[in-house]
Amino acid sequence: MYYLATLMGRDDVPGAEPGSPEFEAEVAQYAAFDEAVGEVVAGGAALYPSAESRQIRRLNGQVLVTDGPFVEHAEVVGGFYVFDVENLDQVIELARQLPAAADGTIELRPIAVYTPHDVPNADWWMALLWETPEAVIAPDTPAWDSAAADHQRFGEQYAEAIRGGGALHPPSDATTLRVREGRLQLTDGPYPEFAEVIDGLYLFAAPDRAAATEIAIRIPVSDTGRTELRQVVDLGE
Amino acid sequence: MTGPADAIDDVYRAEFGRALATVARMVGDIGIAEDAVQEAFADALRTWPQRGAPANPGAWITTTARNRALDRLRRESARVAKEHDAARLRMPIEEAQVSPVPDDQLRMIFTCCHPALSPDSQVTLTLRLVCGLRTAEIARAFLQSEHTVAQRLTRAKAKIRRAGIPLRVPPVHLLPERTPGVLACVYLVFTEGYFATAGPSAVRDDLCDEGIRLGRLLCSLLPDEPEAQALLALMLLNDSRRAQRRDANGDLVPLEEQDRTSWNRSAIRSGLDLLGSAARGGSGPYLAQARIAAAHATAPTWADTDWSAVVAGYDELLRHSASPAARVNRAVAVGFLHGVDAGLAALDEIADHPRLGASHLVPATRADLLRRAGRHQEAAEHYRRALDVATNEPARRFLARRLAEIGGNGIASEGSRRI
Repeated sequence: MYYLATLMGRDDVPGAEPGSPEFEAEVAQYAAFDEAVGEVVAGGAALYPSAESRQIRRLNGQVLVTDGPFVEHAEVVGGFYVFDVENLDQVIELARQLPAAADGTIELRPIAVYTPHDVPNADWWMALLWETPEAVIAPDTPAWDSAAADHQRFGEQYAEAIRGGGALHPPSDATTLRVREGRLQLTDGPYPEFAEVIDGLYLFAAPDRAAATEIAIRIPVSDTGRTELRQVVDLGE
Repeated sequence: MTGPADAIDDVYRAEFGRALATVARMVGDIGIAEDAVQEAFADALRTWPQRGAPANPGAWITTTARNRALDRLRRESARVAKEHDAARLRMPIEEAQVSPVPDDQLRMIFTCCHPALSPDSQVTLTLRLVCGLRTAEIARAFLQSEHTVAQRLTRAKAKIRRAGIPLRVPPVHLLPERTPGVLACVYLVFTEGYFATAGPSAVRDDLCDEGIRLGRLLCSLLPDEPEAQALLALMLLNDSRRAQRRDANGDLVPLEEQDRTSWNRSAIRSGLDLLGSAARGGSGPYLAQARIAAAHATAPTWADTDWSAVVAGYDELLRHSASPAARVNRAVAVGFLHGVDAGLAALDEIADHPRLGASHLVPATRADLLRRAGRHQEAAEHYRRALDVATNEPARRFLARRLAEIGGNGIASEGSRRI
């Protein structure tokens, strides 16, 4: 089964700035990890700092686009992995090896529906779909089926641009992971610092931020939800 | 004489967890297994009174539940042809009769105590799926509504299923990391009963019994784990004075005022035996705590307590865990070993710990040391501070009583109300 590992960390540090020596050193660590664990990695991307993000909400039927992070947090989403493994123990064993486990936090969530993607290119963008915890829809419900139909229509309309994505199981199925002083720390539930929870994600290609925003505002989200647009870092091969 | 319904009740207590663990392993789904075992007991209630109980009730329940689970999977896979359900049905079903397998219960315990589940969920799942307690019984034991407990169980079982928490004993290299979590969950069941944190009664017997029952089960399933033996020793040694820990009003009776001749001698003997064999296996936090409990259990009188053994036990415990509560208790023992001033000095070292801020532990301990030194005025002040923050009713009554004894006023009337 597929698990999303969302990597949270500070992004006001040199290691979060693509091109910096610290960033390159971290990339080398992640590359070594990928090399070591092999084909259980079913997806993933590193993201540009949240200062360059864009937030898309609906307010009274109007689309509202704002620049920068939605709320200032010490730790922000810096990237993600998707692992294809048999059970939670296996994904924990993988995630605990990631540098983000030691200097940040990793949230592990089972993915309900996953469309795999290739290695990201320079023109890739990521849309993180946020939702208030109470409004999250569980799989195998009529509301889920109806939302899935909306996403199906969006997917058909933007099939050319879409590179991958997934819909997550509810946050009550999440596990939060940290490694401190070499010891594994697990807690039940989603990353506790955010008021909202991640509900799904899309990866798509667009020539520039304006074009990416045009696609992102078409992604179906509820009135309580929010789409966060982030640029994906091209890490090469 | 017991009727057939009582007989089934006994079988339920003994066999529910065993049958559930084995059926869950066979069908790969805890929820389906739980329903099936429940149905098997309903079948037993219907058929045993007429036909008589089978020679091997555990195997009967397990086999009936296995068949019920298979029927359900067949029905469901016929309705929605889910690939994984079809795969489950490919398991060998040639055996006409199946018996519970002890290793299955170890799998179930590790799954219920998985660190990706909250401690509350772990305890609730363990009581339901391993001990076989009904939702209403768990709710009663924790003074919570049935609805709350049922919701917690549903949520935890949904997480196990959807997040893919495996039904297995972790591989050997992960056992040192995972076994302490299992021991902690079992000890939490016991301590929740023994040191009841809420409500009117100072001891909740059913939880103490379940904790000890789980401790025995762990010892049989993990025979090479000295800390499992040490944990059972610790629980038995504490439990030996369960009946003397409260008086007729349900109020706490401190160790030094307890009637030592009424302590349960056979529990103490079993605890000391287990402590002996656990000590041969190494060291650990439960061994250290069991040593402290043994020093108290073997002291002929309060005055004759071997305080150097108690302090040594706390020193050993603190090498394994930096528990601020353990440091407070160590300060008490230091007070008896080296005098009140030494005890107060040891207490000062820990008094500002952030995790003790909201607890009555530090002021209550300071008050007790001062009272023993005859410094009643200072003691009264700290008893009042402790009363300001204590939440457990028996602990509050105890503090109020002590305050009244040393001539404190204010809350003293509350302490005398029980007379």
